[in-house]
Order: sequence, then structure tokens, then C-alpha cells
Amino acid sequence: MDNLFVALFEILSFGAIVVLVVLGLGIIASMMGIFNFAQGEFVLLGAYVTYIVHSSGLPVWIGMAAAPFVVGALGFVLERSIVRRFYAAPIVAMLGTYALGLIIREIVRGLIGGLYLSVPEPLGGSVNIGTMHFSSWRLVIILITALVMIGSYLLLARTAFGLRIRASLENPALARASGISTNAIYGATFAFGAALAGLAGALIVPVFSLFADLGLRFLIQGFVAVMVGGVGSFAGPVAGAGVIGTLAAALPWIIPPVIADVLVFVLAIIFIKFRPQGLISGKGV
Amino acid sequence: MTTPPPPLRLPLRVGRQRRWQVLPIIEIVVLAIAVLLPFVLKDYLTIYATRVLILCLFALSFDLVWGYAGIMSFGQAVFFGTAGYGVALIARDLGVTSILLVLPAGLLIGFTFALLLGGFLLLGRHPSSVIFVSLGTLTGSYAADRVARGWYYLGGQNGIPSIPPMSLGSYDITEGPVYYYLTLGILLAVYLLCRFLVRSQFGLALAGLRENEQRIAFFGYQVQRLKAIIFSFAGAVAGLAGSLYAFHEGFVWPNMLGVVISTQVVLYVLFGGSGTLIGAVIGTVAIEAVSFWLSNSYQDIWPIILGVLLLLVILFRPAGLVSLILSERERVGNFGRLPEEGDRGSS
Repeated sequence: MDNLFVALFEILSFGAIVVLVVLGLGIIASMMGIFNFAQGEFVLLGAYVTYIVHSSGLPVWIGMAAAPFVVGALGFVLERSIVRRFYAAPIVAMLGTYALGLIIREIVRGLIGGLYLSVPEPLGGSVNIGTMHFSSWRLVIILITALVMIGSYLLLARTAFGLRIRASLENPALARASGISTNAIYGATFAFGAALAGLAGALIVPVFSLFADLGLRFLIQGFVAVMVGGVGSFAGPVAGAGVIGTLAAALPWIIPPVIADVLVFVLAIIFIKFRPQGLISGKGV
Repeated sequence: MTTPPPPLRLPLRVGRQRRWQVLPIIEIVVLAIAVLLPFVLKDYLTIYATRVLILCLFALSFDLVWGYAGIMSFGQAVFFGTAGYGVALIARDLGVTSILLVLPAGLLIGFTFALLLGGFLLLGRHPSSVIFVSLGTLTGSYAADRVARGWYYLGGQNGIPSIPPMSLGSYDITEGPVYYYLTLGILLAVYLLCRFLVRSQFGLALAGLRENEQRIAFFGYQVQRLKAIIFSFAGAVAGLAGSLYAFHEGFVWPNMLGVVISTQVVLYVLFGGSGTLIGAVIGTVAIEAVSFWLSNSYQDIWPIILGVLLLLVILFRPAGLVSLILSERERVGNFGRLPEEGDRGSS
């Protein structure tokens, strides 16, 4: 019985991590229609910023708070200078952002070497219930993921800014005619997606430690999750991330990890093949 | 990487206007350099050059699917790697190393896997979106890599070491000039075959797919089937390259199947110029040569430079290096003659 709860907790916390990583990816894919291959590297940058702050002697949580802003700002600059040229052709966008990601990844690799650098959890220890121990940091991740999810939803669904984003998504020409600067909106959306990735990276670095291929690990998983959930809505990618994260964490308890890892992807691709619109079809929030 | 759709028409004024053709000149120069190279290179460089030629063959296969048919395959390494593993297993477990058997086997393995993966991703009731195909192939590559790493029979992380050399009768084909010329011969043959293919009416239909898929569908072509055909053909080419690579290196390892090699080949082709066969070759040679040249002193920053170069090419030269010297008109090219229209088209 205890084991079951521990397993459930593991699954839940890994699912939360995947949701956190996929959220930014999903928002950019859904709201702007481009698949950002540099998203994994934004995660990596978030982790790297946290590491830098930590190694300069400041508390880890300052780094975690700074990471989304730093990465978001970088995302904004990149969107203004480079990514906006790609909107016309989604495939070119994939290749272009892949190149961007390659540059970021290799620069970070040059800076940290081929090392695995660990960053301590700002909140150590564990929460004990009966004989069971739950890592408190993982609990924090689950909590923050829930908060970020609700916050992003409210931002997109309930605020004027969110309305503008959705308007620019559904009918850019009409949005422009109504006085919305779609250019600025795209920049802000991309920056927001990047900031979410930065936050994800900052939060997960104590769990996974920092290494150059950290982002790559989540990239494919993230894309598959977005496709499974359905591009075009807010709920779709989140649902997809939940399913993929849960499967990826749960299957290794039942079958050998390597087979589980591959099986998740194979199942996901088969699912997308026969239901291209994903779990949740339709646009909007 | 698609340029604005150029008009797909047959040239009507061929007889009157003999323009100076740049493409054949480039091709002949490249071939001449390739033939003469082993005479001037040191032995270890010839071995390196052989590897580059094999990668050129691999790049051709990606160029066929992306440059001509507009199918984004991020998983071309699957066919390269499975063929490599396949021939390695044949050599290890069955002791068969005859070139007359292993190369066709590699070709067949690449073809079969491409047919299966391509058939699944491309065929079916719903036409697949480009994004789905690219993600599907990428995932395939990742999955193949993972499976190879975890499968004891395939050697796990270490792959299959010390594959015996390919043989012809009792003669062992080991790395060096002989292997070099063997590879060059195969590359040339495949190149000519592809050149014929992409300049035929079939090639015209493919180019139409790349430029405007819907239009080709409305003309009554079986779009999905065309795609599956070229995808499988390219898989066979990649398989051939993979088996040559396995015997040349003497071992295979999981990276051969993985995402890194899959994206590497994308870089080669984009850099050189997709949609021209010679572009794939030039891109591979250029990247590998610079990589070799920088490998001693600037190993660390080379990937960064590569990324920057790629980004610049995508932004400013979507048609790649080749487009610097090749006119748009010639890059698109003419296509084989229509049955009823006499001798209009050429090349």
C-alpha cells in the first residue's frame, strides 16, 4: 500500500514536470502555430541561470525567480530579430529554431564543459506521512505547476491581453484591423512561452542536475505531448502532457524501462495518426 | 526552405537559346576532384575522404525526400543505422561478407524499414500534415536509438565492434584507396540514377508536390503514394550508405540510428542547397572538411559556428551554397519529355 502511494507520487511529480515543460511549448505552438525547436534550450538556459546565481553565492531561489525573466527577455529578443521571419513557413520555423537551439546548447556546453553540475534544492528534506517520505521539493514542483497552469489559463481566458492573443491567433487580419498590434502580441506570446520554459528549467535542475543535453531530453517528449493533446487550444497540450508524463512515469513500474520509453512514443504516434486533431480538438482556450 | 513556387513549365525556346549550363560543369569538376583526390592525399586522409563520400550518399537520400518531394524527414538515420546494424549482424552471425550479398542486403533493409515507417506515416485515410511526418520520423529515430542501446543482442551501448571487412571472392576490401574508389563508383551510380529520376516526369510530379501539394492532388496524382515511393527509394539509398559505413568503420553503434546523425544530414543538405543533388554533395564535403580542419584547435566552438552558419543560410540563402553560383532557372531545371510532345525538354 505504501509502495503504491510512493509510486503514485513519483508519477504525479514527473507528470507535473512534463506539464511544466510542455506548457510553454504548447502555448507557442497553439497560439502562434510554430513548433519551437529551441524550447528545450530555453529550459536549459533557465537551469543554467539558476546554476550561475547559485555558484555566485546567492541563494538558489533567487536564481529560480530570475530565470523566467532572463529567458523571457532573451525569447523576446530572438522573436523580434529572428523567429518572426519564419511565420510564413512552419517547416522553416522548425529548422530555424533548431539552429537557434543548437547555438544556445553548444554555447552552454562550452561554458560548463561536458559536466553534470548539481544545484541543491532550495527546500530540502521530505514530508513524512506515516512511514512514507515525500520529497518536499517535488511537492513544491507539483504545487507551482498547478499555480502556473491556473495562472496561464486565467491570463489567456480572462484578461484583455489574453483576448488579444486569441484574436491574433484566430484572425490576424481582423485583429490588426481592430487596432491590435499582432507583431507585439506575437513577441509577447513567444517571450511568455520562453519564460515558462525558463521557469521549468529552474525548477527541475535540482532533480536532474545541469548538463548540456538537459533540454533535448524533453524536446521530443514535449512535441509528442503537444500533438497528442491537440494543437490550437490551451487545454490540449496540458492534457497531452498529463497523459504522456503519466505514461512515461508509470510504465517503467510495469515493464522494462527501455521498452516503456519507446512504447510511450510508439503509442503516441499511432494515436496521432488515427486522431490527428488530438485529444482536445478546437481552438481557443 | 521552399522558394516561392517557380512556374512549372517546359521551356519553349530550347532550340533558339543555348545558355551556358553551369550545373554540369560543377558536377564534372566535383567528380574530377573526387577521382584525383587519393593521389594527393595521405593515407589517413583518404580514409577520412571515404567516410565523407559515404555521408554524401546518405545526404543524397535526405535530399531526395526533402529537396525534391518536400517530406521533412528528421529520421533518415533510422534507415542508415538499421542497414548498418543489419549487415553487421549478417557478418557477425552468418559470416557473410561478400560485397555481392551485403550491399544488396543493406539496400533491402533500408528500403523495408522506409517502406514500413513511410507507409505508416504517409499513407492512410487522413493525409498527414508536414509537422506530423517530421515529428514521426524524429520520434522513430529516437526510438530506434533507444532500442539499440537497450538490446543486448545488438551490443547495447557499445554497438557491434570488429566487423570483418567486406570481401569480393577471396579479396578483402579494407579501408584505403580501394574502398574509396568503390564508394565513389557507387556514389556516382546512385547520383546518376537520382539525376535521371528527378529530371523525369516522376521528378516533375515530385517537385510539384514540394511546391504545391494540393494542386498536384487536384491533377489526379496519388499524392500519398508518390510520397511513399520516393521515401522508400530514399530509404534504400540511406541503407546502402549505412552498410558501406558499417564495413568502412568496422563497427556500428547506437548513435548511427539516432537524432544526432538524423539532424546532421539535414544540416549537410540545407547548407549545400536542397533541391539540387550536387548541393547535397557539396554541403556534406564543405561541412565535413571544415569540421576536420577545425577539429584540432577549435573543436569546442565548431558546433556553435555550424549553428550560426545554418541560421544564416536559412535566413538569407534558403537555396544553400549552390545558389551562389547556380541560377534559379537551372536549379529548378527541366524535366523529361512528355510522351506526345516531341523533343522539347532535355537533360
